[in-house]
Order: sequence, then C-alpha cells, then structure tokens
Amino acid sequence: MYKYRAQLTKGDEIRYISHLDYAGVMERAIRRAKLPAAYTEGFNPHLKMSFASPLSLGVTSDAEYMDFELTKPLCQPEIFDKLSAALPPGIRLIKLKPVKEPKPCEGKKHKALMAEVEQGIYEVVAPLIGDWDVAVKAVERYNAASEVNYHRVTPKKTRDIEVKQYMIEPVKIGMSGDWVKLTMNISITQTGSIKPAEILELLYNEYGLPVALGRALINRCKLMGQGKDLIDLV
Amino acid sequence: MIKLEPEILQAVEKPARYTGHELNAVHKDWDEVDCHFALAMADTYEVGMSNLGLKILYEVLNNRQDTACERVYAPWTDMEAIMRDRSIPLFSLESFTEIKNFDFLGFTLQYEMIYSNILNMLDLAGIPIWTKDRNDEDTFIVGGGPTVYNTEPIADFFDFFILGEGEEVISEVAKTFVKWKREGKPGGRKGFLKEVAKLEGIYVPSFYNVKYNEKGYFSSIEPKEPEARDKIYKRVIRDLDSVHFVEKPVMPYIGIVHDRIMLELFRGCTRGCRFCQAGTSYRPIRERSREYLRELARKLVDSSGYNEMSLTSLSSADYSCLGELVDDLFADFEGEKVSFSLPSLRIDSFSIDLAHKMQQVRKSGLTFAPEAGTQRLRDVINKGVTEENLMTAVEAAFKQGWKQVKLYFMMGLPTETDEDIVGIARLAEKVARKYKEVKGKWGVTVTISVSCFVPKPHTPFQWFGQLPKDEFERRQRLLKDSITERAVKFHYHDARVSVLEGAISRGDRRISQVIYQAWKDGAKFDGWTDLFKEDVWHEAFRKCGIDMKEYSERTRDFDEPLPWEHTTPGVSKDFLKREWNKAVAEQLTEDCRRGKCSGCGVCPSLKVDIVDWKRKEGEVKANV
Ligand code: SF4
Repeated sequence: MYKYRAQLTKGDEIRYISHLDYAGVMERAIRRAKLPAAYTEGFNPHLKMSFASPLSLGVTSDAEYMDFELTKPLCQPEIFDKLSAALPPGIRLIKLKPVKEPKPCEGKKHKALMAEVEQGIYEVVAPLIGDWDVAVKAVERYNAASEVNYHRVTPKKTRDIEVKQYMIEPVKIGMSGDWVKLTMNISITQTGSIKPAEILELLYNEYGLPVALGRALINRCKLMGQGKDLIDLV
Repeated sequence: MIKLEPEILQAVEKPARYTGHELNAVHKDWDEVDCHFALAMADTYEVGMSNLGLKILYEVLNNRQDTACERVYAPWTDMEAIMRDRSIPLFSLESFTEIKNFDFLGFTLQYEMIYSNILNMLDLAGIPIWTKDRNDEDTFIVGGGPTVYNTEPIADFFDFFILGEGEEVISEVAKTFVKWKREGKPGGRKGFLKEVAKLEGIYVPSFYNVKYNEKGYFSSIEPKEPEARDKIYKRVIRDLDSVHFVEKPVMPYIGIVHDRIMLELFRGCTRGCRFCQAGTSYRPIRERSREYLRELARKLVDSSGYNEMSLTSLSSADYSCLGELVDDLFADFEGEKVSFSLPSLRIDSFSIDLAHKMQQVRKSGLTFAPEAGTQRLRDVINKGVTEENLMTAVEAAFKQGWKQVKLYFMMGLPTETDEDIVGIARLAEKVARKYKEVKGKWGVTVTISVSCFVPKPHTPFQWFGQLPKDEFERRQRLLKDSITERAVKFHYHDARVSVLEGAISRGDRRISQVIYQAWKDGAKFDGWTDLFKEDVWHEAFRKCGIDMKEYSERTRDFDEPLPWEHTTPGVSKDFLKREWNKAVAEQLTEDCRRGKCSGCGVCPSLKVDIVDWKRKEGEVKANV
C-alpha cells in the first residue's frame, strides 16, 4: 500500500457540512478521480482514509488533512492533478505528499493522523459594533486572566472547562475594515481542547467584546504537530 | 440575491439544505438566458434531491441555451420560522435568487399530502396563492408528476399542468415561452397560457367551466377558450433511448433519501394490479436498450463517484434482459467496488437468484408485496401471485442465507372480509415457519407492513368507497390480535392520513378551498406523521361546508361523470369497468407485456407501442 497525505480546504460553500459528510464527499471525489484507491476488507468496503481533527459545523479551513492509500504508487503530480480536478466546489487541494512509512527495522509505524495533532491556529472575524478601544481592552483582560472557565453544555452532559490551559499564545486582535480579527492559537490534546467559537463566546459574554456575534466567521488556518504543519510531518 | 447570515444557518437543523453549491449544479448567468425555471418539490431537500424526474428535467432544461433551471425545496419548519420572522423570501439553490423572479415555478406532484406545503412555498415566495390573483408580472405555477391524473383539488392554484412524461414537453414549454417573450408577450399572461394550451399534454384549468348537479356532485367540465381541449391525454416517450437521461446528477453534500445512482431500466408496468395507479398511468411498457443502459451506467459512475447503483423501475425484475444487463454491469465495474441493487423483487426464484448475485455477502433483507392475505382477494386485485409462489421464493431466499423478509399488504381492498385480514397473519406465519423448516431452527424476522387502501383515479377501483377510519383501525386491531408467531412483526399506516388522502385524491375543484383553509390554519408537512394535524383538516372541511366522507367513502356510480376524466393517461373507462367486473368475479387479466393485449386503450389512443426486447416481433398488437 502507498499512503499519501493531502492538505485540503473547507471553503465557505461547504461551511455547514459535518465532518462525516466531508469524509463522504472526499470518498466520492477520490472515486471520481479514478485513483487506484485501497479499500477496507469486508462486506461493505470503504476507502482507506483518515482525517485529522474534526471541524465544527460553520467553520472553514485552510488546513484539513486527509491520509489515504493507493494500491499502486503514482507520481505526485498525477495524483495531485487528478484529485484536484475531481473536487467539488468548496474543496481545494493545497498540498499532497507521499507518507514515508518507517522501515520495518525501525520498529514503529507512523502515528495515526488524528494522534499527530497538537495545535490549531484559527482566525475569527466579526463586525465591530462599538468602540475599538473596548474591544482591545476586552481581549487584553481575557489574556491577562490566569484562569477562565467555560461552561460547556452538550446533549449528553455539561461541564466546566478551564480554558487558559489550552491557550498557546495570547489572543491577538486586529482590524480589517469594520471587522475585528482575532487570532487564536490553541492546543489540542488527547484529553481535550477548547473551540475557537467557545473562546469568542467567552469574550463576548464575559469580557464585553463589542462584536456582532451572530455574524462571526471562523477559519482554521493551520493544524500542527511538533511545531510543524501536519503536511510537513510525513 | 439572498444571503443567509451565519447565525441563521447555525440555528437550523441540517443547514446544508439551504446552502447549495453542489457539484454538477448548473450556474448560468441570469441575464444571458430568456427563460428562468425553478424546479421544486414541496418537501425537504433530502426528499426532493432524491427524485429522479426532477433530476432528468433539470438537465433537459439546462441543456437548452435559452433556459436556466434552478432548484428549490420546502424549508423545514425551523428555517421557515426564521424566514417568516426576518421576511426572507423563498430562494433558489443555484443563484440564491428570489423564487418570484423566476418565469416558472414547477412542482413535482408526488402525493396528495404535500399540497399544503405547495401553498406554503407559494406564500413564502410571495407569489399569490390563487391563480386568479396573479398578474402579468407573476411567476407561472406549473405542476406535473404522479398525482396529475386528478389535478382538480389543486386546479385553482396552478396556471397549468403537464400530463405524463415531461422530457419533451417541458422543453416545448420553454421554447413557447421564449418565443412569446421575444414577441413582446402578446396577450399578457393569458396570451401565453393560450399558446401553451396548444401543446399536447398541457392542461390549463382556468380555461374550463365546472358544473355541479343538484346533489352537489360534479356534473361536467367544459372548455371556455378555443385553445382548451375537451380531453387532455398524457405525454408519452415512444423510444426511451432517444431522450435525455440523467448524466451528471447534482451531488448533495449531505445524506439524502436515495443517496445512490438511479438507473431507470424501463417505464410502465402492465401486470395489471387493479388498485395501482402507477400501473395504469405509466403504460405501456417501454424498455431502454441494454447498450444504452450500460453507457448511462458508466457516465453516472464517472460523474458522481457513487459506489451504489439502484436499477429502478416499477417492477425492475421484469426487465427483459436483466440477467444479461447485470452481467454486463458486473464486468464493466469490476474492481471499482460498485454495488447494485433492485428496489423491488418479483416473487419468484429468478429474482432471488439475482438478488443473491447482486448482494453477494451482505444480506440485508428481502421485500415482497403479496398485497392481500388470501388467494381470493389476490385474484380480486389481479395480483398474479400464489401462496406457492411466495413459499418457493422465500424457501430459496432462506437457503441463500436471508433472515429478514418484509411483506407488503394493503387493507380495505374491495370485497375484503375479516377472513382476508386474518389471512395476512397466517401467510406471514407460514413464511416464518418455512424458515424453521429450511434451517431447522428459528431466527427469522418477518415484518408485515400494511397500508390502508386509497382508491385512485383512473384505476378499476376508482368508483369504490373507501373504508371509514374506524373500520381501518378495527381491522388493524384484528390483524394485530391474529398474529401468534413471535417472529412476525407488524407495522401499519396511519389511517387518519389515508382517509384524508382518499378524500383529496378523488376530489373536485371545491377541495381547493379546503386545502387553502387547512394551510391557513397551520397544515404543513402532512406526510410527516408527527406534523400531521388531523383536527386542522377536519375543521377545514367543516368550515368550507364540505363533507369529507362524500369524497372518501362514497361509492360512485359507473355512469356518473368523474371530475378527473378529462385529464387522462389514455386508459379507457370501458377497460376500467371491465376490470372492475372481473375483479368482483375474481378473474385474472393477463400481462400484455408478452401476453395478449387487454385492450386498455393506451397504445391506440397515444399511438405508442410496447418496447420489450424479448417479445417476438408482431406477437402482440394492441387491439381495441
Ligand atoms: S393497449 Fe393493450 S398492449 Fe397497450 S398497454 Fe393497453 S393492454 Fe397493453
């Protein structure tokens, strides 16, 4: 088997499709691309593919990662072109690299893509409704706080999460036109993380960030492990 | 252009229903075309996107240079509330244009229970609900599809209807429109309707006067415009190889009801089940050729990336070259991991063998439709299946490893007695015991699914009075109590919905008022059990002074004029009467596909002939 890693986008057009649907869309794209894809065994064969950290509904991304396997080694440009041509609106292929499996004598296998993820960088934009100074102050106070709790409610359970433990860097604030631009550098661990939308909610509710929350847009800019983009880990 | 804010899309269930941008969707420059056609289904995105007819017409219209065709479906209740709250009008999924800016809004009429949703969509679009209230600037509202053989209950909401198969006529409509528009729209709205009424298969309801007799029953419908025909026959495609079929289906980003390729093998079914409206309305049998189907299958796999293909038709196992076609497809898609399925199985071992071959290892479940519990009643409905056929078929299935069988039945058929109801339980139990006999142990599930019979226009049972709701419910209880075997599971349909369907499907124009009233009072998504509001409908009938039972339960006289006879699939009244008489006499009628012509009238009146690749030349000629 020959394994490849693709860096893909999730554009505005498909912001509202779930992670599972995104996977289904990619499966059909690979089939349309007529690549010699490898399938799982069994009654209901599926393409051998895996994804990194799932995105929340409504979030776009420049850093979706997918590993997939082919039964024949094709050269990178051929795969790149065929797959690119088969992608639907809203998905672009940015980079593609073969995954070098460590030699058997080295004793270890490549980590699962999901397990390589340690860090995500997000950009949040929202229309400013009020004073720029107030916005800056809100972010400063959030950054200065030593502990911030987020009350997460899911259909199954509710719990409090300490947020600051996941902040790799302070939230940065900038402006583009009338929009506030926030950059969040968040750590993603095996045991948990915090979502950019949740940080935004805290900033709005508890620190008085003056933005139109309902029009906020979130984009994942990078997904990293060991300080590098996931595409550079192969 | 309508733009939905993130907070709206974040707040609704399945937001991708409203965001478009699917692969293979066609985007044209609005100003570059003369004709803007919105194709709609008054149901959810997932249901609408699964409809084969809409997929075909979408491509046919978009293949025209002068026309842009876009899609629209009914917003779910959560989205509708937001749209009403914020005054967001109904919009299309390609260019996000307001629907009321389109020249046409065409609804596929799949079943009567979506009528309230049609009104709701017109209202959301800001288009006047009643035809009479529309002016020259308004969109033309068009209907087509299965319920078009009695459009009277919704006639006052539609500008015109397309009867029968739409591939050719829809293009003629667009062409007529473009010509009329380029000539400066002579005669205004009515001028166009007069032009379009000249096309075969088009029914313009406002061009007719309807009369009722002293008892309040429908007595006649007469043209009041020279262009209006006395009788409108459906359109039929003579050679299915010659018309466009789906080649590049719009690919949804989210799961839809039929999330697979649908390859339509043929149209029509002439087995002659006497309750079946599809059986009379899609006649005669016309098969696509094996070569064309093979070509289509390749195109569809390549353009969609789907790995599942359903070989659809009313009775797919009847396709004359099915065995060969399946072999072809297996060979063509070897190594591509495409799986094939048949949506309906015939009750015989040929079907079982084929299903076995197609499903290979995964044996999900088999579905058969004996329709009635006793031989006597099966003879009444002309379901040419015996208990022995069923037993042989399930025996073969159990030997091949199936463990789940689903059996479809109908309740409330003409002449039905309690014995027939109990017969359903007995038959299901025999099937369950057959498993034990074959396998030497228990372990089978036999699910019986029983619907409530709704008599339909243009069928031999069109005169028959439907059972009252309480009687359906009594028979449902009787059946439930008659099942003694644990392996048999029982599902039944909501009789409340079936009797309403019974009233509407044989309704006349006065029913429009009831539908309007029900919609006003909150009826929508009536086909969704948890949203169905029985009281609202009963109240609507009461408010309009119309007795629902007059429509559902009244047995019509043979010589009584019926409100749907002027819009016809070509099946003659004489044939339907003959079939009724044979039903009561428990006599069977042969399938004309290979057997002798039963003189239904379709072939001679529409100048069409059976296309069955294995029928010998000259073996059958329609003889009326
Ligand atoms: S006219 Fe005769 S051959 Fe044609 S569909 Fe009717 S019964 Fe069959």
